Amino acid sequence: MSVKVEVIEGGVPHNNILAAGLVSTLVCLYLTYLNVLTSTQMFSFFGGLAVVAALVWGSHTIKVLCSYGIGTGVPSAGMIAFGSGVIAMLLATKFGMLAPVVALVLAVVIGLILGYVSNNILNMKIPAMVQALTEMAVVGALSLMGFAALMTGSFTFAGLTNGSTSVMGMILANHEMSFMVGGLAVAFLLGALAIQHPFNATLGPGWKQDRMLMLAAECGFLSMVVAAIMSFALISTGSALISLIIAIIGWAYTYQQYMELSKRDAAAWLNAKPIPDVEGH
Amino acid sequence: MSAVAAKPAAGGAMNPTAMAVGIVMLLILVGIGYMVSPMVLTYAPAISPTFALMALLGVIIGGVLIGFGTHFVPVGGAPAAMGQAPGIATGVAMLAAGAGLAGLFGGAWAAELGMVIAVVTGGVGGGLMMAITCMMVNFVYVFGMGIPSASGKVANDPITGDSQAEYKSQGTEGHGLPFISFVGGVIGGILGGAGGTLIYLELLSLYEETLPGMMQITPAQAMPIAVSAAGMFAVGLFLVNAVLTAYNITGTIEGPHDPKFKRWPRAIVASAVASALCGLVAILIVVPL
Repeated sequence: MSVKVEVIEGGVPHNNILAAGLVSTLVCLYLTYLNVLTSTQMFSFFGGLAVVAALVWGSHTIKVLCSYGIGTGVPSAGMIAFGSGVIAMLLATKFGMLAPVVALVLAVVIGLILGYVSNNILNMKIPAMVQALTEMAVVGALSLMGFAALMTGSFTFAGLTNGSTSVMGMILANHEMSFMVGGLAVAFLLGALAIQHPFNATLGPGWKQDRMLMLAAECGFLSMVVAAIMSFALISTGSALISLIIAIIGWAYTYQQYMELSKRDAAAWLNAKPIPDVEGH
Repeated sequence: MSAVAAKPAAGGAMNPTAMAVGIVMLLILVGIGYMVSPMVLTYAPAISPTFALMALLGVIIGGVLIGFGTHFVPVGGAPAAMGQAPGIATGVAMLAAGAGLAGLFGGAWAAELGMVIAVVTGGVGGGLMMAITCMMVNFVYVFGMGIPSASGKVANDPITGDSQAEYKSQGTEGHGLPFISFVGGVIGGILGGAGGTLIYLELLSLYEETLPGMMQITPAQAMPIAVSAAGMFAVGLFLVNAVLTAYNITGTIEGPHDPKFKRWPRAIVASAVASALCGLVAILIVVPL
């Protein structure tokens, strides 16, 4: 049997974070469907919010899994989350409006099988393994879908593979300017880095749940900034601008909060300015 | 309990029941692949009815190559960074992904030249990446940290026969990259790169045939979508296989002479099941549902 290295002391129980993360991710993903109902692309930013919600949940799942000494490093958890997530997500996009729910179901199936494989065939025998790998596949699939919605305004296969370039007022269909070709690989790594960083950066005896979750939100918004900038190529400028502004505001707020939490948890800190003020000369 | 004292959970023991269940799952997944394979003809009438099944089998072979190859790579982790264990100072997943993706890009570049050349190119790309990594790692160890290469797991290097004990510092498990580890790294890179390329090629050929019919576009228009979809699936499969192998190794391995290397049958079954599952999902994209 493995030894649990850290336990969660106080803070929000994992199941609450799971439920809140899952519900808010799905709700945010479906809010991007307002794009279709209102024939605009203004609501694409909800995709970014879905990414943030999924990443906050996913970083806590990684904490639950990596509290056991799995001996492979925290980043590997982020890699398997998105590696199994991208596979579920791409197939799910074929189902039109049902895509987020299908992605959820498919990711659960893939995660359960991968969890069984690692726990039983590979003899890991870690109690949290099956549930954690299942959750992480779901997080990976839903956050990639969130990135897709943020960048293209849609989460269907057609929306992901069709791009259009507007040249001097003329709309040209162009498959090379689509999320599938340009954006998916970037979204993959943006998410995979953002999901593994929070626990990797805050683990240790001084781990605090609120600090890690705030860092996860900060990483999510930072990824959303990059994705929002990329979305200028695929959706209308006004809509991309809305996403970008929301991402920057969210990032600035969570970064400031994270700095405060870090100072709260630090034994001591010194504001070492990059260029020291020279006085008296 | 500290992380150092918490020994990895997975022992060397096999779990025969789970292995049997794994093989049954593999057969079921291949069976589903056999059932859906003729349905692909809706979008591409010209191909053979077993085309998709062959692609699935190729994906499984590629995944098994990755899983098996990763066991050869000398992974040192954090202890290696401090010169207290042999190997490259990073995790299994990172090294496997690095070697495999380097091979995958090399092989993808040669995809036009046919299956054999592309797979060999992918293998050479992965092996080259690992050879350069191993050499530079040894440069840093020998000239930067001032430590000789010595294995802690064997008395004599299985290839050169050099004795190791005299060079091993007390209190460490060995350090640096002994010759056998270097060779293991290159073999692992070759197998991983070839496996990644094989997955990419199989999926690429499938998507090239079916996407034009499915999306009602010309083959030239479908090409970028086929390339990126096959590439993303290959990367996803690669990471899944690499992390599963990392779970099998649990931490560090010195190379083919390490006792942990004997755990490879478990990884073969695990990689085959995971690749069959993910490959089946990748094929379902071009199946009318």
